[in-house]
Amino acid sequence: MTGETLRNLLMTAWLLPLLGFAIEIFGGFWGSRKSRAAAWLAVACIGTGFICSATALVVWGNATHWAVLSHGDDHADAHAPAAHEGKQDSAPAQPQGAATDTARYLTASLAASSTEEAAAARPQTVFSGTIYRLASFGSLQLSIDYYIDSLTLVMFTMVTFIATCIHLFAIGYMSEELTEEYVDHHAHLRNGHHVHRPGRFYRFFAFLSLFCFSMLGLVIAGNIFQIFIFWELVGICSFLLIGFYTERKSASNAANKAFIMNRVGDFGFLIGLMVVWTYFGTFQFGETVDANGQVVQAGLFQMLPRDADGNVNRNPETGEVMIGSASSPNPGGNRGTIPYFLLVTAGLGVFAGCIGKSAQFPLQTWLPDAMEGPTPVSALVHSATMVAAGVYLVGRFYPLFVHEVLLTIAYVGCITLFVAATIAIVATDIKKVLAYSTISQLGYMMLGLGVFGWGAGLFHLVTHAFFKSLMFLCSGSVIYGCHHEQEMPKMGGLWRKMPITALTMLVGVIAIAGLAVPGLVGLSSAFAFSGFHSKDAVVATALAFVKANPAHYLLFIVPLITAGITAFYMFRLWFYTFAGTPRDAHVYEHCHETPLIMTGPLLVLSLLAAYCAWGGESGVLYRLITGDQPAWVHHGIAGSPESLTLPGHAAVAAVHHEAGLLALIAAFSGTFVAWLLYGSGRVNVEDIRRQLSGVHSFLANKWHFDDLYDAIFMRPMHVVGRFCAWFDKTIFDGILHASARITLVVSRWDRTFDEVVVDGLVNLVGNTTWSVGNAMKHLQTGRLRQYVMFIVAGVVALFAILLSTFPG
Amino acid sequence: MNPLFLLSILIFLPLIGAALLLIFDERNADAMRFWSLGVTLLTFIFSVTLWFQYNPADGMLLADVKEWVPSWNIYYRLGVDGISLPLVVLTGLVSTLAMAASWSITKHVRGYLILFLMLEAGMMGVFLSLDFFLFYVFWEVMLLPMYFLIGVWGGPRREYAAIKFFLYTLAGSVLMLVAMLMFYFYSGAQSDSFNLVALAQSASAGTLLSPGLQITAFLLLFIGFAIKLPAFPVHTWLPDAHVEAPTPISMILAGVLLKMGGYGIIRIAFPLCPYGAQYCAWGLVAIGVVSIVYGAFAALAQTDFKRLVAYSSVSHMGYVLLGLAIWKINEATGETLNSDYWQMGLNGAMFQMIAHGISSTGMFFMVGVVYDRVHHRDLNKFGGLMGLMPLYSGMAAGLFFAGLGLPGLCGFIGEVFVVISTWSFSPLLAIIAASGVILTAGYILWALQRVYLGAEYRGPHPEALTPSNGRENAVAAILLALAVVLGVYPSLLFDVMTPSVRNMAKAAEAGYQKSVEQLNQAQASID
Amino acid sequence: MQFGLQAYLFVGAVLFVCGLVCMATKRNGIGVLMGVELVLNGANLNFVAFSRYTSLGLDAQIFSLFVIVLAAAEAAVALAIALNFYNNHLTIDVDRANKLKG
Repeated sequence: MTGETLRNLLMTAWLLPLLGFAIEIFGGFWGSRKSRAAAWLAVACIGTGFICSATALVVWGNATHWAVLSHGDDHADAHAPAAHEGKQDSAPAQPQGAATDTARYLTASLAASSTEEAAAARPQTVFSGTIYRLASFGSLQLSIDYYIDSLTLVMFTMVTFIATCIHLFAIGYMSEELTEEYVDHHAHLRNGHHVHRPGRFYRFFAFLSLFCFSMLGLVIAGNIFQIFIFWELVGICSFLLIGFYTERKSASNAANKAFIMNRVGDFGFLIGLMVVWTYFGTFQFGETVDANGQVVQAGLFQMLPRDADGNVNRNPETGEVMIGSASSPNPGGNRGTIPYFLLVTAGLGVFAGCIGKSAQFPLQTWLPDAMEGPTPVSALVHSATMVAAGVYLVGRFYPLFVHEVLLTIAYVGCITLFVAATIAIVATDIKKVLAYSTISQLGYMMLGLGVFGWGAGLFHLVTHAFFKSLMFLCSGSVIYGCHHEQEMPKMGGLWRKMPITALTMLVGVIAIAGLAVPGLVGLSSAFAFSGFHSKDAVVATALAFVKANPAHYLLFIVPLITAGITAFYMFRLWFYTFAGTPRDAHVYEHCHETPLIMTGPLLVLSLLAAYCAWGGESGVLYRLITGDQPAWVHHGIAGSPESLTLPGHAAVAAVHHEAGLLALIAAFSGTFVAWLLYGSGRVNVEDIRRQLSGVHSFLANKWHFDDLYDAIFMRPMHVVGRFCAWFDKTIFDGILHASARITLVVSRWDRTFDEVVVDGLVNLVGNTTWSVGNAMKHLQTGRLRQYVMFIVAGVVALFAILLSTFPG
Repeated sequence: MNPLFLLSILIFLPLIGAALLLIFDERNADAMRFWSLGVTLLTFIFSVTLWFQYNPADGMLLADVKEWVPSWNIYYRLGVDGISLPLVVLTGLVSTLAMAASWSITKHVRGYLILFLMLEAGMMGVFLSLDFFLFYVFWEVMLLPMYFLIGVWGGPRREYAAIKFFLYTLAGSVLMLVAMLMFYFYSGAQSDSFNLVALAQSASAGTLLSPGLQITAFLLLFIGFAIKLPAFPVHTWLPDAHVEAPTPISMILAGVLLKMGGYGIIRIAFPLCPYGAQYCAWGLVAIGVVSIVYGAFAALAQTDFKRLVAYSSVSHMGYVLLGLAIWKINEATGETLNSDYWQMGLNGAMFQMIAHGISSTGMFFMVGVVYDRVHHRDLNKFGGLMGLMPLYSGMAAGLFFAGLGLPGLCGFIGEVFVVISTWSFSPLLAIIAASGVILTAGYILWALQRVYLGAEYRGPHPEALTPSNGRENAVAAILLALAVVLGVYPSLLFDVMTPSVRNMAKAAEAGYQKSVEQLNQAQASID
Repeated sequence: MQFGLQAYLFVGAVLFVCGLVCMATKRNGIGVLMGVELVLNGANLNFVAFSRYTSLGLDAQIFSLFVIVLAAAEAAVALAIALNFYNNHLTIDVDRANKLKG
């Protein structure tokens, strides 16, 4: 019953934007260019979507008796109702000591033996099912499913909420398009004039609606194949929105780049899908249950059961991994076992898709270019939702990741967060700085997930979505206010002109930098904005991981340093833009605060950016996210000499203070340096740049990734392409033409033979007959008398011959 | 209407329509066009009627058998099942749309229309006939109108292209003829020696050809069909034929004619020579994979818009071959491994044929629309069409996305189903095939950028770029709508195809096992 | 005096030769016709003689009757030809009738 309600609510939220898209795109095309109707329709759709999602969250909470909040920080307790009776008092704000946590861990592992009993008592928190079937081949089934757990609900609410804010903001931001004659100052004709075109206000909102539909479809998806479907759809929406200004070459280039680089990742994703499909025989996450409540097909998440230590079951002799267990029957097409390396391949493949979508190293270069799109797009698609889909998928697909995959994820995140942060230091385009910061923060999320901080990574995803969309909208507000000036060197001192924007931006900057006022009781209760809590969680997990596996110390050092860099470049951005004195009088002169429809969403988002993570890891948000985290994540996985040790919550909690303190120090030092260089005006930044010109140009050229990819991928691809075309034209057609020519030569010989020999013989006979006749014709004199003479002579001659031959 | 009677109607209605064209006034071209459009539309409606009357559970729907050349056991034998039905409907649809796109043909209109209708009859005949000889006849019947349609109404190099097309196909059909005679004589020239259903049954029982002969026969048939498909390396007729053919004929070529190759493989080559098919499976998959990657690379390098779309066809039809051939067996016992995955590949390949029939028909039509206006196809001399022809460009983008394999559009289902079922056959080839997704995105997006995006149009005749008219919009909208419907709800097709495909596969599996048993017995007797 | 077969044959041969010579030398069409009659009658004479002196009997006489009838018919046709020829050429000189020259 609850499942159906949830399904209906979320499907309404999911499908409304699609309906909106259809109406907007057609209505807008034939409607007036000056009408805002498309925008309000889009807002209505996504707004209703938000209401549905929020309602769904409440329905889900009521159905589960809000168990997740009362003891949600300790997931394993859910398995052991007996164990949590005494812990109802662990209120969200109450600080937790390491000792209590360890105690819980012990009770939990003791209670794990009575899982069966616990499962019966525990309210259902995960609802999955099939919406409709795409195809079925024997035991193989492909369908459109839904899978609703606390993560889905949080994502739904977050996406619809942020999308609503951004839609509203975009009504203001895109209002210049409300005209029959829009002048695009960034697109030039050959004669040097600007492009004049009808406004495309409606199209923007139609694409936004289509994007919302795709994104929500991705979140609600109940199987990995469906995720792939919507994965591609958000990709194409991103393509359409980045290339919104189709007249600009740079925009269409960026759109192509984004889509193709995503496809590179999707190539890996496809390989992952193939392995999963071949060995597991299903894509569904949850179990398929028939009308009698009998499980007819185990889901992916049930097929890779972990033992009490959280390890996958391996056949001790072959090393292959067992699929399924006695408690989850597998009538499907799976093969019973899967070679370990293929399990790794599957994980890495799916993760490759995430690399592409979340712009991780080495596919990070598309995201900065994607800033060609209108700023609301950057806020919605390229910071808050779509790029976070990669992180979401890693979290969603977590049960199928093994150690090697997690380590790869961690290192990829680690490299990404560092590379992007360093580039952000030197970027001067306000949106580019935010883009690199997004990449870097996504790296943090990946790192968090990679070092076994399932909750930490996803926590950071949600908080980041709020503060980064806030900052992007602020930058949009600045760009709009400054009449499409994006270069920070031309700004400065803007806080006087646009105080609301400056203030909300400062909230976002503080949140991302992770500044906090240490609390009285401890760091967990520190007064801090959302970014501190989530980043703290990531860093703490990383520290716990590094303590357990000292060989991977970089996984803690790099993010720690980068936390300082983050604070530095974000405050640099703020000081550069809003503080100090105006550097370009013209820009400053014409700059103005944006209208309420734009500042309103800023204020709302800044509140959430500041307080959404209130309470940190014992707060509501974190508990909701981790409500349905895989059980073994909580315990951690004890390692052996040849394998990693993955820290459980207890281990993380033990180092929480230490990590939080270090991160705070890094953040403050970064802030201080930024203030010193850009805020205080006491240091000449130009001097430093000159002295470090080598480093600067290396960073300004984005570590030369674009040049590298151009040289090793793009050009060879075109060379191979041209080679294939040449091969076709020259070799295949050459062979064909050669054989045609040979045929011609042969037929010419044939003709000669025919003409000379065969015809010659026939002609010879004819000619001879003719010439004989010709010779004989002279006997035909036509004279009667001569004929008589001939007859006589002939008869006489015959007689003469006869008589001479036969004498007597 | 009696469904069995419908089958003959589908073939003869266009022929009657063609004959009646003779009574029209030569000068009244529009009347003849509307008449032909009416005929094709009616044929399409009949094919849709057939679709609704067909029950997938029935298996093969056979029409009454008429004697044709009794002394040679040749019969007029028609039938339809889940494998051919979608293609029949596709033929009806594409013919109608191509006819609607034929208004731009102004030379010898009557001759064009008559040949066009004959072509449609030939295509219908190929998909409907269940007598090998009849099949062969229709195969050739469809060849001749095509030759003239390209050779007379084509572009500057039309004669070259027409002859190339003709020779290639003829070479293939000669090989097919040889194979046909093999079946005729090895089946003892009995009354069923051209009956495809009976031949398939006897092949399934292992009594048709010996394993060695099956390999020969399969290769002969396969080469014939691969040329039509077209598969690497016998694909080079396709770019030329497409580039030179007029737009509606390109649509037919891509939409229907290429499908005959795939149809022939699944209808004739596999059921009649299961051992040969299995023996060659790896080679077939490899050819399919090479076609995918090679076609995509070649498309990347084209500067002619139509040539690019033509190479994309090579690439897309590679998926068809790939999906058909991923038949993996246990070498020792001859049992089929992962039968369900093969089913998925087969169905995916069939779906891909229909999907390609929609997407590439649409792409060729879209190229034709601009070609009719500006009379050139140089990709580097376009740009900015999005601003000049917004509705057209929007729909073109949709159809090109369908070709790109975007989810929610038809191209995706076929491509991805084939690719993900390939891993169970060969991981290496699956990975290479999957890499096609990157290249496809590359060449299609690059083409879109050069043609539709950008600030302004850079080629000749900019004044001719008027917004698309109602007829053009209707054709594009129908194709786009179908692409969306099939992409979102593929069961529409799968429900019809799956049972028939399963029967085919099961019969082929049984036939293969019988052949293996024969071989083992022969081996045992030698020992 | 009893004449033998040879005598008849001799006369026949003389007639025959005379006829031939007549045909070969006469330029007048009627002359040629008369030569033909001579030849035929020479042959008739032979037939009759053979009928009398050999075992051919009546057969030979029948033959000669045929020849006479034939000659009559031939004369009629030939005279018609001659008449027509004269109508066209105003002469019956057979040397003028050389249209069959090869």
